[in-house]
Amino acid sequence: MKSIFAPITLRNSVALVLVSFVGWWLWRGLLPFASPAEALSGAAAHYVNSAEIETGARNVVAAILYDYRAFDTLGEITVTFAVVTGIALLFSARTLKVSKEGLSSLAKRGMALMAPFILLYGASIVLLGHLTPGGGFQGGTVLATLAILLCIVYGTGKRGSQMNFKTKDVFESLGAMLFLGVGLVGLVLGTGFFSNLAIGYPQWTQGSIATGGHIPVLNVAVGIKVGVGLSSIFFSMAKVLEVGEDDEL
Amino acid sequence: MSEMTIQMGFATSIILFCIGLFTIVSKRNLFKTVIGLTLMEGGVLLFLVIVGYIPNAVPPIHPAMAVMTNPLPQAFTLTAIVIGACDIALALALIMKVHRHYGTVDIDKIRGLKG
Repeated sequence: MKSIFAPITLRNSVALVLVSFVGWWLWRGLLPFASPAEALSGAAAHYVNSAEIETGARNVVAAILYDYRAFDTLGEITVTFAVVTGIALLFSARTLKVSKEGLSSLAKRGMALMAPFILLYGASIVLLGHLTPGGGFQGGTVLATLAILLCIVYGTGKRGSQMNFKTKDVFESLGAMLFLGVGLVGLVLGTGFFSNLAIGYPQWTQGSIATGGHIPVLNVAVGIKVGVGLSSIFFSMAKVLEVGEDDEL
Repeated sequence: MSEMTIQMGFATSIILFCIGLFTIVSKRNLFKTVIGLTLMEGGVLLFLVIVGYIPNAVPPIHPAMAVMTNPLPQAFTLTAIVIGACDIALALALIMKVHRHYGTVDIDKIRGLKG
C-alpha cells in the first residue's frame, strides 16, 4: 500500500511512536516555562539600558554582537572560515570549464539593470547595522545572493561572469584579519580585547552613521566575510557540476 | 491571552523538531536526511527567539516607546543561523562525494557495500 509521506514499514512505525513520545515529553517538560516575563532581568536589562551610552549604537542586537559579546562573533566567523576551507578542499578543481552560456539575453539585460540596486541594498544593510535592524550577517547574505545570481544568469564561460578566485581568497582573509585587527587594537593600547569606547573613538551626534565606535568597522568585516564565504561555497559546488563524469576530484 | 500565544509558539517549535526528527529516521535518500536536519534546526531557533518574548514589547532598537523584548536570544540566533547554513553546506558537500564514490545516495544500499 502506497502512503504519501513514508512507506509503512516496521522501522517507520516504531520511529513514529518514538518521535511522538519525544514530542509529548518535550511538551510536558516545557509547559511550566510558558509564562511570559514582565520585564527584563539580569544581563539583558543592563544591555538594553546602557547600550546607547556605552557603545553609541542604537541597535541593541548589534551592540551585543560586536561589542559586549564580540568574542562569540569571532568564534562564529572562525567556524564559517573552517567550513568554507573544508568545502573548497573537497572540491578542489583547478580550472573553471567553459560549458555554460547562461540564460537568455532578456534575462541578462534585466539582471544588468537590477544588480546595482541589489548591491546598494546589501551595502546599506551592512553599513547602517548599528542604527537599524540588520548588520554584517544579514547584508553579507544579500551580497552572496547577488554573486550567485550573476553566476546563474551570465554563466561561467569566458564571456560570462568573470570570477577571479585569487581575489576571492584575498577578500575572505581580509575580512577575518580586519575583525581580529580591530580586536587587537584594544589589547595593544591596554584597555582589553575588543574594547570599544574605552579606547576613545570619537563620536558624532547620536543616531548618525558615525557613532558606535568600532561597530561599523566590524559590520563591514563580517559582511565581507559572510558574503565571500557563502558565494565561494556556491562556486565550489558549481564547478563540480560542470567538471563531468570522467574527471578526477 | 499572551500566555496562549507563547504556548502555541512552543507547540509549533516542538512540532517542527519532531517532523525533522522523523524525516531523519525514516527517509532513505540522504538529501532528505539533510532536509530533516534543517527542520530540526529551524524548530530549535524558533524556540530560542520565543523565550525572549515580553507582552506588548517593541523590537530592541533604541528610540523605543515601550519595554523592549530580550535582545540576547536574538543575537545568538543570528550566529546560530549562519552556523546552521554552514554545516548544512558541508553535509551536502559530503553527500555529493558519497554519490561520486558509491554511485547512489540510498542509505540502505550504501550500508551493504564494503569500502
